Amino acid sequence: MKKIIVLFLLFSAFYSCEKDDICSESTPTTPKLIIRFYDISSQEETKNVTGLRVTAFDENNIEVLISNLNIVTTDSISLPLRTDANLTKFVLYKDYVDDVTIGNPDTVTIRYEREDVYVSRACGFRTIFNNLTFSFENDGDNWIVNDEVINSLIDNETTAHVKIFH
Amino acid sequence: MSKYFTSIMLVLLMGYSVNAQNDSIVNDSIRYTQKYGLRVGVDLSKIVQTAIDDDYTGFEINADYRYSKNLYIAGELGTEEKTTSTNFLNSTASGSYIKAGIDYNMYKNWFGMENMIYSGFRLGASTFSQTINSYTIFNTNQDFSQTTVTDAANINGLTAIWAELILGIKAEVINNLYVGLNVQFKGRVSETEPDNFENIYIPGFGRTYDSGRFGIGFGYNVSYLIPLYKKGK
Repeated sequence: MKKIIVLFLLFSAFYSCEKDDICSESTPTTPKLIIRFYDISSQEETKNVTGLRVTAFDENNIEVLISNLNIVTTDSISLPLRTDANLTKFVLYKDYVDDVTIGNPDTVTIRYEREDVYVSRACGFRTIFNNLTFSFENDGDNWIVNDEVINSLIDNETTAHVKIFH
Repeated sequence: MSKYFTSIMLVLLMGYSVNAQNDSIVNDSIRYTQKYGLRVGVDLSKIVQTAIDDDYTGFEINADYRYSKNLYIAGELGTEEKTTSTNFLNSTASGSYIKAGIDYNMYKNWFGMENMIYSGFRLGASTFSQTINSYTIFNTNQDFSQTTVTDAANINGLTAIWAELILGIKAEVINNLYVGLNVQFKGRVSETEPDNFENIYIPGFGRTYDSGRFGIGFGYNVSYLIPLYKKGK
């Protein structure tokens, strides 16, 4: 009888220790699009964008600010893509100061095909993006001169996917 | 788990007191014979869980046939439907299973008692389907609102085979009526791995674990012995 009691104690311990149902922060998540900025006159060299602010249009077509991209000077950005549509539209402001002095905004459209990939019971699915294309609207005063998609599959955040020349 | 544990302890205590009552019926003049026959029952825990748990429906018939003094040929037949939900995923597994094997009685009964403390072995097989009811795309970036996909994917024709080691007790509470409690340690031998998904729950096997192919289950059986003949010790 004692053996059986011990057995059931072990049994209950086994159940309560299970952490399979909690999604760990370190699990590979839906990847972001990584863009690097290059110098148009010296195309091997990266070049910082000054006063960069990035916004995107959400599912209600409302312009939302992308986190950590409010007036920064950088040669590399990572942008979240919408997982409910096959395109995400961004506005990249260069030399943005405030609501009045918005600098030079360029509108960029990223198109892709979504694929939901199973991760685990705790985290469910993440989205990866195939057949990425990049385009920017000609507004007569573009600071973006050219672009190049170097990796049309976004399934990780380890290397850049798009080059922007300016 | 604690609620199960409490009920398990209760059952153990009940069984123990019943045993104590039986001990007093000792009569030297009776020839020592034991009942042989087919014992048929149901898993009460599955019926109770069906009643109290909205995410579960299950039923299991079990039977054993006493082959020799300590050896029983045993099997279970059942059906289960279980919905599993986490923060990001909600899925339902549904199907039926069969288990067949042996039970070996390790308990040396006192005179007149026919109880069992047994260990058993089973081979189990299940055919089932899984439905992905909904999932929220796992995305650590919160700039956009989370996307939840509800168009259910249905994965049919899944199978799994596993082996089980069982430890349990069976006590005759009134003439020919037995209650039993058992715990099952399981290991999957083979399974159909669904494309872009996994087997979250396998009817008969129970929930799966990320850590590997092992699982655990328990049963609380009520069964009735149809005595076929008596045989001396």
